[in-house]
Amino acid sequence: MKKIKIITMIVLIILITMVSFFGVYTQVQNRMENRVRDYALDMDLDGARYVRLSVNKESTDVIKDANGNEVETDEEMTDEQLAENGYTKESVPNNSEDLLTVENYEKSKKIISERLESQGVGEYEISVDNETGDILVQIPENENTDTFVSNMNTVGKFEIIDADTKEVLMDNSDIKLVNVMYGSASSTSSGTTVYLNVEFNKEGSKKLAEISKTYVKGDEDTTNTTSEDTNTTTENTTNTEAENTTADNTTTEENTTDDTTSTETDATEDSTESTTKEITMKIDDEEIMTTSFDEPIENGKLQLSMGSATTDVDTLQDNISQASSIASVLDSGNLPIQYDIESNEYILSDITNTHIAYLALAVGIVLLIGFIIFIIRYKVNGLLSAIAFIGLISLYLLVIRYTNVSVSIQGIVGIIVTIILNYIFINKILSTIKKSEDSKKLATVKEGIKESYKEFFMKLIPICISVIVFCFISWTTISSFGMVMFWGIALIALYNYLITATMLKVRAEK
Amino acid sequence: MKQFIKSKQLKIILIVLVIIAGIVMIAVKGLNFDLKYQDTQRVELYLKTEFNISDIRQITNEVFGSQKVMIQKVEVFEDSVSITTTSISDEQKSNLITKINEKYGTELTAEDTTVEDIGHTRGRDIIKPYVIPFAIAVIIVLIYLGIRYYKLSIVKVLAKSIGIMALAQILLFSIIAITRIPIGRLTIPMVILVYLLTLFGITTKFEKDLSKKKLDESKDKGKKK
Repeated sequence: MKKIKIITMIVLIILITMVSFFGVYTQVQNRMENRVRDYALDMDLDGARYVRLSVNKESTDVIKDANGNEVETDEEMTDEQLAENGYTKESVPNNSEDLLTVENYEKSKKIISERLESQGVGEYEISVDNETGDILVQIPENENTDTFVSNMNTVGKFEIIDADTKEVLMDNSDIKLVNVMYGSASSTSSGTTVYLNVEFNKEGSKKLAEISKTYVKGDEDTTNTTSEDTNTTTENTTNTEAENTTADNTTTEENTTDDTTSTETDATEDSTESTTKEITMKIDDEEIMTTSFDEPIENGKLQLSMGSATTDVDTLQDNISQASSIASVLDSGNLPIQYDIESNEYILSDITNTHIAYLALAVGIVLLIGFIIFIIRYKVNGLLSAIAFIGLISLYLLVIRYTNVSVSIQGIVGIIVTIILNYIFINKILSTIKKSEDSKKLATVKEGIKESYKEFFMKLIPICISVIVFCFISWTTISSFGMVMFWGIALIALYNYLITATMLKVRAEK
Repeated sequence: MKQFIKSKQLKIILIVLVIIAGIVMIAVKGLNFDLKYQDTQRVELYLKTEFNISDIRQITNEVFGSQKVMIQKVEVFEDSVSITTTSISDEQKSNLITKINEKYGTELTAEDTTVEDIGHTRGRDIIKPYVIPFAIAVIIVLIYLGIRYYKLSIVKVLAKSIGIMALAQILLFSIIAITRIPIGRLTIPMVILVYLLTLFGITTKFEKDLSKKKLDESKDKGKKK
C-alpha cells in the first residue's frame, strides 16, 4: 500500500513534467498544436516596438497683415489676393532655431516618459541624441502600442480662446492636472459617461471663473460646434458622482448643482441663433468644441464628457481609452519641439531561444550534480527528494505560464533563485532527519520537517516582504521578478508539504 | 581568537581595497556601459528572406572586427536585419553591404542604406524605475527586522542591516568597475541577487544571535533558580 502511494506520486510527477516540458498536443485542422499556454515574455526577451522621433524640419506658410499680425484663414489665397488685402506670406519653420536646444530635447524626452508612464506602459527605454534631438523610444508590443505611439509626438497644446476674437484666454500653464472620471450623467439616465476632468491651478481657476461669468449662455442659445474626431461635451453643470479611473488617481468627485445641461456634440449641428459670447477649446490647434457656460465655475474644474452615456462595455472602454490619451497628453505638458515619427517598427530581441536553451542546459547540469549529491548523502530519501524536486520545477513553470506572469531577465533570475532556495530547503529537511538518532522513525521525520519549515521560513520573511512589495510595482521587470518569486516561495511551502514531505513520511512508515 | 581577529581584519582590508580600487576606476575610466546603452550607430538591411543570426554574425565579425555588434531580426516576417555597433564608417558600410549581397543575392547599395545615430541611455534612467520599489522594500524589511530582533537592540540591528546592505551593493559596483563588466541588462538582476543574498545572510545571523541570547537568558534564569 505504501509502495503504491510512492509510485502514484512518482507517476503524477512524471505526468506534470511531461506536460510542462513537452506540452499537450491536439490536432487543429492539419497540424498539431500545443495546448499548454506559452510564456508571456517582456520586452528584453520578446522584442520591442522601436519608435524613432525626429525633429520636424518643415516650415509652415503664415499670412500676416500690414501690421505684422497673423491672419487666420481657411481659404488658399493667391498672390494677387494677398497683395489686394495688403497681406504678406512668410515661411515660418515649425521649430525655430532657438527652440532646438539640449534643454528642450531633454524636456521633450521627459514629457514623453511621463506620457508613457501615465498611460500605464510598464516598461520602456528612451534615449535622446543631444546633437540632432532625435529620440528613440522602445516600448513593449501589445494591443495598445499604436495608441501609445500616436500620443508620443502629439504636442499637447491646450488653449481656450475667444470664438470671435481668437484671443487666447487660457493655455497649458493654467492646468494643474487632467484625469479621467466616469459616472452616470444623471440619476434618471442609464449608462456610464466618461469625463475628462481638467483641474486648473490657482491662476487658472481665477481665469476660468472670470471666463465662465463673461461667456454665459443666452436664453435661446443651443449652438454647438463639432470636432471631427473627438466627441466631447462640456459638462459645466453636473449632478454627477464621478469616479476617477486613471491608474494613479482614485479620487471621487462630487459636483452638485440644480440642473444638468449636457450639450452633445455629434456630427450634426443644432442651429438656433447664438446670442452669447462663446469660447473655443483647442488641443494642438484643433477645435474640440465651441460653447458657453450656464453659470460661473468657481471650483476651477472643468469636466468634459467623452461620447454619450453608454452601457456597452466596448464603447465605454473606447471612451476611457480616448479620454486617457488626451489626459496623459495634457497632464504631461506640451512638447517644446514638434516631432515627427520617422520610423516605427517591431524589432526582435537579441536574446534568442538559443541563449535561453544554453542557460536552461547549464541550470539542468548544475541541478543534476545537486541531485547526485542528494542521492550520495541521503540515499533513498535523497532520491525521492530529487524526484519531487523535478516535479516542483515542472509545476512551477506551468504556474508561471497560467498566472500570466510576464517573464523578464529578472524573472529568469527569480526562477533560478527559487530553485536554489528549494535546494537549500530540501537539503535542510534531509540533513535534519539524517542528524536524528533514528532517521527512519516517522516521528523523527515529522519533527525534522516541522523544524526545517520553521527555521527556513523564519529566515525567508524579509525576502518574502521584498517580493510582495515588488509584485505591486507597475514597472514590468521588477514586478516580473516579484511575481515569479512569489509563486516560487508559495510552491516551495505548499508543494513540499504535500509531495516531498508526504513521500518522506510514507517511506519512514515503510 | 587572535587568528579569527586577523582573518576578520584581513577581510576588512580586502573589502576596503576593492572599494577604493572601484572608486578610482570609476573616477578614471567610468563605468563600462553595454552596447545597448551606449552612443551607437545602426543600419537596417532588407534581406528578402529569413536568415540565421550566426551567418550575419560571421559577416559582422569580418567587417567590424573586435567592435561589439548587436544583431536583431526585424518585424514579423524576420526578413530584415538590424545591426547596431559603436560606429559604422563608410568603408565598413559598403563592405558590409557587399558581403550581404554576396551571401543573400540582394542588390543593396551603400547610397540607399542610411546609418542611424542612436543616443546613449543614461545610467540614472536605467536605475530610476528601481529606486522607489527598493526603498519601500528596504524600509518595510528594516521595520520587520527592528521588531523581530528588538532583543538584540533595535539600533544595532538597523545599523548592521543598513550597513551590510549598502556595503554589499558598493562592493558589487566596485567589482563591476574593476572587472569592466558592462552595465547592461544583467546589472539589475545582479543587484537584486546581491540584495536577496544579503537579506538571507542578515536574517540567518540575527536568528543565530537571537537563539544564542535566548539560550543565555534561560541559562541565567536556571542559575538564579
